[in-house]
Amino acid sequence: MKTYILTRIGLSIPMILIILTIVFFVLRVLPGNPVLAMLGPKAPPSVVKAMEHQMGLDKPILVQYVDYLKDIAHGNFGQSTVTGMPVLKELMQKFPATLELTIFAMIVAVFIGIFYGTLAAYKLGSPLDVSARIYSIFVYSFPVFWFGLMLQLIFGVWLHWLPVSGESSPFMTPDPTHTGLYVVDAIINGQWDVLKDSLEHLILPSLTLGIVTSSIFVRMVRANVVLTLSQQFITAARARGVKEKTVLFRHALKNALPPILTIMGLQFALLLGGAVLTEVTFSWPGIGSYLVSRIHARDFTAIQGTIVFFAIFVAIISILVDVINAWINPRVRY
Amino acid sequence: MAVLNIKNLFIEYLTKSGTVKAVEDVSFDVEENESLGIVGESGCGKSTLGTAILRLLPQNATITGKILLNGVNLLELNNESMRKIRGKDIAMIFQDPMTSLNPIMRVRDHFFELFKVHNPDMKKNEMIKIASEALESVGVDPKRLDNYPFEFSGGMRQRVMIALSIALKPKVLIADEPTTALDVVVQEQIMQVLKNLMRTKNMSIILITHDMGIVAEMAERVAVMYAGNLVELGEIHELYNNPLHPYTRMLLESIPNIKLDDMDLKFIPGSPPDLKNPPKGCKYYPRCPFAKDICKEKDPKTRKIGNRIVKCWLYGDEDE
Repeated sequence: MKTYILTRIGLSIPMILIILTIVFFVLRVLPGNPVLAMLGPKAPPSVVKAMEHQMGLDKPILVQYVDYLKDIAHGNFGQSTVTGMPVLKELMQKFPATLELTIFAMIVAVFIGIFYGTLAAYKLGSPLDVSARIYSIFVYSFPVFWFGLMLQLIFGVWLHWLPVSGESSPFMTPDPTHTGLYVVDAIINGQWDVLKDSLEHLILPSLTLGIVTSSIFVRMVRANVVLTLSQQFITAARARGVKEKTVLFRHALKNALPPILTIMGLQFALLLGGAVLTEVTFSWPGIGSYLVSRIHARDFTAIQGTIVFFAIFVAIISILVDVINAWINPRVRY
Repeated sequence: MAVLNIKNLFIEYLTKSGTVKAVEDVSFDVEENESLGIVGESGCGKSTLGTAILRLLPQNATITGKILLNGVNLLELNNESMRKIRGKDIAMIFQDPMTSLNPIMRVRDHFFELFKVHNPDMKKNEMIKIASEALESVGVDPKRLDNYPFEFSGGMRQRVMIALSIALKPKVLIADEPTTALDVVVQEQIMQVLKNLMRTKNMSIILITHDMGIVAEMAERVAVMYAGNLVELGEIHELYNNPLHPYTRMLLESIPNIKLDDMDLKFIPGSPPDLKNPPKGCKYYPRCPFAKDICKEKDPKTRKIGNRIVKCWLYGDEDE
């Protein structure tokens, strides 16, 4: 098991290197000059030159590449060309909000996906199963921002039950911060009013993201559980008098999990980067909004940093998924 | 004394293209400690019959009739009571040992699950003891309790399945084609295991197979099925030496005998009828060389001749 995990980690290093390289060169090839984006199109050429020199953009591209790799090896992703702040520091400020949103969205999506999908597979062909199939097609086709707006309209504007934007109300942030995750920090500090406020702000965006994502999970879980339920060991388990609930969850679902977990892991990583629309709709101060603003400003180092950050995160999640799979399925482990 | 009585059992599958009459008016008894073989071609309803006894048929199947286990009609039990009978009073082993164990559960956990289901208070050492005994009785080293199914060969997996099914000392063991997926050498070993169990344990075996040789080796009585009907039932030697039903006769003749010079394989011409739309009279009529006019018109009655049962117009007229 230990060697397995170490191999998996070793294998993801070249993957991250490849992503680093691609991101670096693609940004250089694409049109758009960060200096011009900063100074405006009317800036005198001498100033542009000086600025380029100061940012190291006049060096040969390979030298820039080596500098960039050095920066990453030192654990900082360079300095933002817009704010001059270390990119890693900026990311770490924005990331917790995104992580919090993504985790709650995943909880919603996994919960709906596992239960709805498994029950639909169990009651194959029943009205419940038909409803699951309609749900997954219907919800999958929802545009995220439209669905978010609808929830805002219904629960925020009409019913006044929940706040429609932001991560917290004014003066309702946890103090002191530990993890940057509002919910976790509020619990650590015992600030229950802050916790309630954070959760209220989380509900709509995480429902939006979670429900849209659950459509894929419902389909995946249903298809895989249908497959395992048709296997001989299911009949054999029933023939030993095993309870239906155990047959369904311990035998059928658990055997169906590996492909489902892989998709869930990928989806989790996708959500981290793809929560942009949700973040914009709900004015959520996360990494998605950050990336959008830096793309507009042609902030090379920030874009690179964000993407590399995601790449590392995707790698970590896929290692985790593989480890969980190995833990479930002995054939992978041995 | 009979431990299991099947009375006038009818099983139908509702499919999109029509109703399949998989089992029609089948009645027989299984005596205590006996081994009863059920033989027939693929699709004759023998596996359906075996699965029906445990009430594990798919949702689209309807069963009527009676299945009595020591006088209790299993078809009238609620699901929970039926569940408690499975694995404890009646156990089953399956055709494909490669897929009948849960691939991600250790053998030990298969046993523990079975014991916990039927006796939640059982202690761990007791569970290990019973599981080890069961494995030993089928020739598997108890050390292998900690192994996963994929660490066993097909034959060993079937042994594990058998150990699992007999661990709680069921009264009836249904073996649905237990050796079909195995090669001949392993097949012989598994047959020996089953024979040993019959000698040592107090248990009846229903052996479902299409292999006449295996039945001859294992069973004391044989039931022959054709197109969902039980066409003949009798003691093994009587039935082999003097088959009454034309189908049984041709089935026995089709066993190849290497000692004879005549090496042409005999077979039964034609194929079994479509069970969605079976012929009106005797189901075997279209393939039967002895067919009479009445066979075409009316389904024969099931008759008792001595201690044998036969369903054919050759034995007795309509008014008898």
